[in-house]
Amino acid sequence: MSAPPPRFVARSVGKSFGGTRVLDDVSLELAPGSVHAVLGENGAGKSTLMKIIAGVERPDAGSLELEGVAYAPAGPLAARARGVVIVHQELSLCPHLTVADNIVLGSEPRRFGWLDDNAATERARRALGLLGASTASLRLDARVAELSAAEQQLVEIARALAHDTCRLLILDEPTSSLGHADAERLFATLGELSTRGITTLYVTHFLDEVRRVADGYTVLRDGRHVESGKVQDRTNDALVTAMAGGAVQLEARNEHEAGEVLLTLRNLSGVRSPRDVSLELRRGEVLGIAGLMGSGRTELLRAVFGLDRVKSGEIRVGAAAGPASPAARLAQGVGLLSEDRAHEGLALALSIEQNLTLSRLRPLLRHGLLSPKREHAVAARFIERLGIRARGPEQRVGELSGGNQQKVAVARLLHHDVDVLLLDEPTRGIDVRSRGEIHRLISELCGAGKTVLIVSSHLDELLAVCDRIAVMKKGVLGAARPARGLSERALLEQAAGA
Amino acid sequence: MGPLAALLAVYALFCALAPATFLGALNLATMLRQTAVVAVTSLGMTFVILLGGIDLSVGSGVALTGVVVARALQSGAGALSAVAIGVLVAALAGALNGALTAHAKITPFIVTLGSMSVLRGVAKGLAGEQKIDAEPRGLETLMTGGANALMPSGVWLALALALLGAVVLHYTVFGRHVVAIGSNVQTARLCGVPVERVILAVYALAGALTGVAGVLEFSTLTVGDPTDSLGLELEAIAAVVIGGGSLAGGQGSIAGAMLGALLMTVIKTGCTHVGLPNWVQEILTGVIIVVAVGIDRFRRR
Amino acid sequence: MRRRLFALAFIAAALALGCSKRSAPAPTASGTPAARLRLAMIPKGTTHEFWKSVHAGAVKASRELDVDLVWKGPLKEDDLKSQIDLVQSFTAQKVSGIALAPLNDKALVASVNAAAATGVPVVILDSALSGGNIVSFVATDNRAAGGLAGERAAELLPNGGKVVVLRYQEGSASTHEREQGFLERVKAHPGLVVVSDNQYGGPTTESAFTASESLLLAQNAAGGGVNLVFAPNESTTFGMLLALEKSKLAGKVHLVGFDISDKLLKGVQTGEIDALVLQNPFKMGELTVHALVDQLRGKTVPKRTDTGAQILDRKNLEQPEIQALVKPDLARWLGQ
Repeated sequence: MSAPPPRFVARSVGKSFGGTRVLDDVSLELAPGSVHAVLGENGAGKSTLMKIIAGVERPDAGSLELEGVAYAPAGPLAARARGVVIVHQELSLCPHLTVADNIVLGSEPRRFGWLDDNAATERARRALGLLGASTASLRLDARVAELSAAEQQLVEIARALAHDTCRLLILDEPTSSLGHADAERLFATLGELSTRGITTLYVTHFLDEVRRVADGYTVLRDGRHVESGKVQDRTNDALVTAMAGGAVQLEARNEHEAGEVLLTLRNLSGVRSPRDVSLELRRGEVLGIAGLMGSGRTELLRAVFGLDRVKSGEIRVGAAAGPASPAARLAQGVGLLSEDRAHEGLALALSIEQNLTLSRLRPLLRHGLLSPKREHAVAARFIERLGIRARGPEQRVGELSGGNQQKVAVARLLHHDVDVLLLDEPTRGIDVRSRGEIHRLISELCGAGKTVLIVSSHLDELLAVCDRIAVMKKGVLGAARPARGLSERALLEQAAGA
Repeated sequence: MGPLAALLAVYALFCALAPATFLGALNLATMLRQTAVVAVTSLGMTFVILLGGIDLSVGSGVALTGVVVARALQSGAGALSAVAIGVLVAALAGALNGALTAHAKITPFIVTLGSMSVLRGVAKGLAGEQKIDAEPRGLETLMTGGANALMPSGVWLALALALLGAVVLHYTVFGRHVVAIGSNVQTARLCGVPVERVILAVYALAGALTGVAGVLEFSTLTVGDPTDSLGLELEAIAAVVIGGGSLAGGQGSIAGAMLGALLMTVIKTGCTHVGLPNWVQEILTGVIIVVAVGIDRFRRR
Repeated sequence: MRRRLFALAFIAAALALGCSKRSAPAPTASGTPAARLRLAMIPKGTTHEFWKSVHAGAVKASRELDVDLVWKGPLKEDDLKSQIDLVQSFTAQKVSGIALAPLNDKALVASVNAAAATGVPVVILDSALSGGNIVSFVATDNRAAGGLAGERAAELLPNGGKVVVLRYQEGSASTHEREQGFLERVKAHPGLVVVSDNQYGGPTTESAFTASESLLLAQNAAGGGVNLVFAPNESTTFGMLLALEKSKLAGKVHLVGFDISDKLLKGVQTGEIDALVLQNPFKMGELTVHALVDQLRGKTVPKRTDTGAQILDRKNLEQPEIQALVKPDLARWLGQ
């Protein structure tokens, strides 16, 4: 016999939105039980391709085939019925329902028209079982709101698998809200699924993950198919080059001269986290904070910025202590970049300029009124300086790609001209090029006498941009050590070790 | 320009159905005059809805202001001080709404549902459950005007307030903060916007505008009527929504709300001119509101 | 595109719902359409039985006199503002004349004067207006109607007795007139003693019931302290009836009331209510239209027209002219 027929084939798929060609002549072939990575910068067309396969959008050119039969789903439900399920980057669970309820949502088993709880529980248990040992601790009657982000992700995947027919699972940036251990758990699950013959399409920015889980890969750039192949045949550099379409300067290591102390924390404790944290941040240096998800890194930054309540301890900015509120901190020259761009960092419905200037409107006033001219000028300056790709200062931020959104959020801190930048996951969910640009910017700012406190789940990132790194664990911050002598392995051991 | 198109369409339609009377200058002036009260309340409502809130108490607030003004006049106050007291009472009621929303963190729907009932009760109590006769001391001319009565000063006042409101919304830090809070309150907080203070100020402002509307209403009625303006809040909300406002906050325009308010008067007057019975008018009003907003949302998608 | 959609939806609705209404008045051969009179009639509300009767009478007169009649009440029952808006709109529309039942005697004066100033004559019906440039006032003579009740009280208590008046509400002109008319006539009979005339029933049946209970207790009605009660409108009559029933005095204490409803009618049939004074809303509608048309056609119109009142009791209940008041033939005129 010859090789088995491919599970899924896409032939010359194309799609336009309002005159813009977002996908052009993209082809793809997936073997049964394989894990296939789709790579590309933000805006490369990955999301559109996934939406087409999941039945959310319809292609306007090309054709799809599932197990040798033509596949043109009328909508997500039709796609589901054929065994194609997508798990979105933003989780779509109902927080007030239980794990079991969420897993069977939309196809609740019924008996004489009534909900059949026993059958539902059974089906949910079976779906979670498919994910392997990692789900053993999950209670089926727990409310989803009580679960961690990683557990929610597992529930979401289990929901996709609750249909016995699942043949093709699409995961869109599944690790973007997961810590290291949870990501490992997910990779193990994917291996499990693969042995059961389920094909996975895996969308990500992270090459390490690709190397870890995927057999094949496809690179998209500007809506076009660049190349496909086996992951093992390509180096990371080669993949990056394919994604970026040219030589990309990977982040360069920084060495900064430290000046006077700008931020001092003494025995700072919050409600649950941080616990008894002390540190000093000097002008011109970058201090990194490593740690697992839920180790209290974000809470530390929020407490410093006045967003979370401080129970005890002292925060000094320069010589000033002052009250802890975002307004007061901003006035003292401290700015926070939120880890949650969509819900906190940016008002997506507002324009670039409105987002950019919100924390400091005073310089835009003329005779007490906001001057649109000045506002445009300010926004245009930062759009150029940070290389934000947008139609103009009045475009809505929600229409930008993740990387460009993040640049707007960073631009706000620059416009405010803060001295202390608290950056929480500054490169989460953004493409390689933007990531490099943000790293360069951090270096540049330190050169100009600012200081940066950066929280990141990417250890390579911390090692590349920081002067010193401290590891946080269960709310307690370890000693900050020079980055030069550290390795990913050492940090990981400290973060996860006993 | 969705609301403008809707207004022109409905206006043109009634002109076609009642050509002899609908187009006249007298009718236009009458419609503007009848819109003034709703327009001023929807001005405040625009700010509240932009903020992501809602104010169900404006109808009761208008009635209460009317009663307070009548009582003040009755007890010998001059026209100006009666107006000042009326507007002050309404602004205080609004500030209370704002304080409960901003500081006690109760949803504005619940807060203003409560104050809707409370203010109505206060108005009835203050009026002894009947309409209060008071010598209007010139206040009646606000809405009737003098000899050249085509556009009474109340209409000009409403227009001026709308203009001022638009300037505040688009060209002041306060206005920008309102939009930012309505669009994403967390972002606003992150950027150091004094969220609680802005919320309080917006509800107080809406209260004060309700007070101004109440004065105009008193000028129309010339009595303080505690049962007046039942359901006015819904007309104001409808005007804002027709004008492009979103109940989720962050979206809405003052020009749109003014056009929305005018649209509803045109429907009301048009139905009277064409001679449609009340029940048909009510069905038509509902259908036009939903269709106008529906087409607008569909177009934006 | 957008506008056309709008127009289509609107026209469809307007035509479907409105056509039957506008084709209803019978066309006539005489007179050009431009010369045809178009009257607007604005009641206090549109859903009460009373106003339906007024409407029916007005329709009858408009057909006899060959004029168009637009019947339009406030959208919300008893809403003063929308009544003012209606007067203004009809004025702007330049109808031939306006008939108005004002919800408030002062608040509508300005709009009525503005109408008159634009050349639109106004006839007031049902409730008086304080001043204002009006053609005529067509309503029940409430003082006379109250007198009818007083006369009946004297007949019911030929040997004299103790009489109570449960007033309606402070500031209500029409019921005040009725109460005064009643008291004047009662005082003419020396045997009749008014033991209470300063208690108010308030706006609702509920408040009237509470007031009635306390009043009956205070006057020791159970011990024979009250022989007859007069109530000047529907809600006070019904409230008093309930209170009498509850204290087992119904049928023992005489009750003379005002206006009609199904429940009051039943009270008359069982004998718990001795008599009700009825107004004549049908005639009120009819005479109002006549007054307006007479004015427009250059005839002289009396400043004041009484539309009369009648006593209803168990004996005359079945008489056709009383039945016409109790159950007017609305279907014939309103076509429903």
